[in-house]
Amino acid sequence: MISYLQAAILGLLQGIAEPFPVSSLGHGVILPRLLGWDIHQNDDFFLAFLVATHLATALVLLGFFLDDWKRIVRGLLRSLRAREVAGDDHDARLGWLLVVGTIPVGLIGLLAEKPLRGVFASPASAAAFLLANGVMLLLAERLRRRVVQTDSRGSDERIAGMTWRQAGLVGTAQAVGLVPGFSRSGATMSAGLLAGLSNEDAARFTFLLATPIIGAAALLKVPELLGSAGDGVRGPALLGAACAALTTYVAVRFLLRFFETNRLTPFGIYCVGAGLLLTIGFAAGA
Amino acid sequence: MTSSRIGAAFALLGGCVLLVVAVVYAAEPAHALPSFFPGHAGGGSSEYGHHHLKHAIAAFAVALAAFAYAWFATGPKANAATTPS
Repeated sequence: MISYLQAAILGLLQGIAEPFPVSSLGHGVILPRLLGWDIHQNDDFFLAFLVATHLATALVLLGFFLDDWKRIVRGLLRSLRAREVAGDDHDARLGWLLVVGTIPVGLIGLLAEKPLRGVFASPASAAAFLLANGVMLLLAERLRRRVVQTDSRGSDERIAGMTWRQAGLVGTAQAVGLVPGFSRSGATMSAGLLAGLSNEDAARFTFLLATPIIGAAALLKVPELLGSAGDGVRGPALLGAACAALTTYVAVRFLLRFFETNRLTPFGIYCVGAGLLLTIGFAAGA
Repeated sequence: MTSSRIGAAFALLGGCVLLVVAVVYAAEPAHALPSFFPGHAGGGSSEYGHHHLKHAIAAFAVALAAFAYAWFATGPKANAATTPS
């Protein structure tokens, strides 16, 4: 089972690592091993615990961008009524770009999440993929389009300038995050940079994309939390969820400011360094 | 018939088929699914009585996307763009 202290630590970690491009799933696999906890990703009680922390993360993201979501939903309804996505209706276009970006990863997640977790849930593979995640972030900064959009348009207007194809590819990149060690937000931000977005816009699009997919994934598994798998874990799960909610809010607030002037490079360096050390450590039997 | 109309017709047809597929996945256990459906389980399989709810949701989501495409492709602006002047 999972203690209250473990739940609080894992909840705090989940809240930070989910929006940060450093793989919450990977850290959730590695940390228990480092601390010698008898917790494994595929344990029923741990899956139930994850449902609660992910639901909390999704709710915080929804609350954080609530005004944006209201505009986006109104834009979607407007376009459905008019049966067209008007070029100057940025909210509608952003909404449909989010739909286009969400469908592929939703399908992949629904059909492949379980096998992927089963195959790659070991701390050693998570460490190796954390290293690969760092390389991905550094490469994305290296290969990004040189002309970064910093014009006078608003962020949503710039994001809405993406093509359907680009939105689909950026959204599909989230699927990489199903492998523990690879970061969903990191993959999306990297793909956003390659599509010509600035770090700030890529981060914003990433958080908007994350809300429905994390929320839906967590909602689908709520029965596991409420069922027998959740017996004995609901108390710690509630504490973990509260901790995750707190750190998610702080992390998103921090990252939106951070990416106004900074890049993915520090996270890339962290992932490469930590991934390398952990891979060597696990290989040496630490 | 214009290409957008043909695309819309295919999307509508595909959406209807996927909707039926979603209902079948939601209603039938794995052993009762048609054998060509992904997730069909034969006798002795551990998933014999399992309902593939995730497959149902996936099929339903793609059906909705197909209907949305058909809706926009047959809208007034799409028609105006393809109508010869």
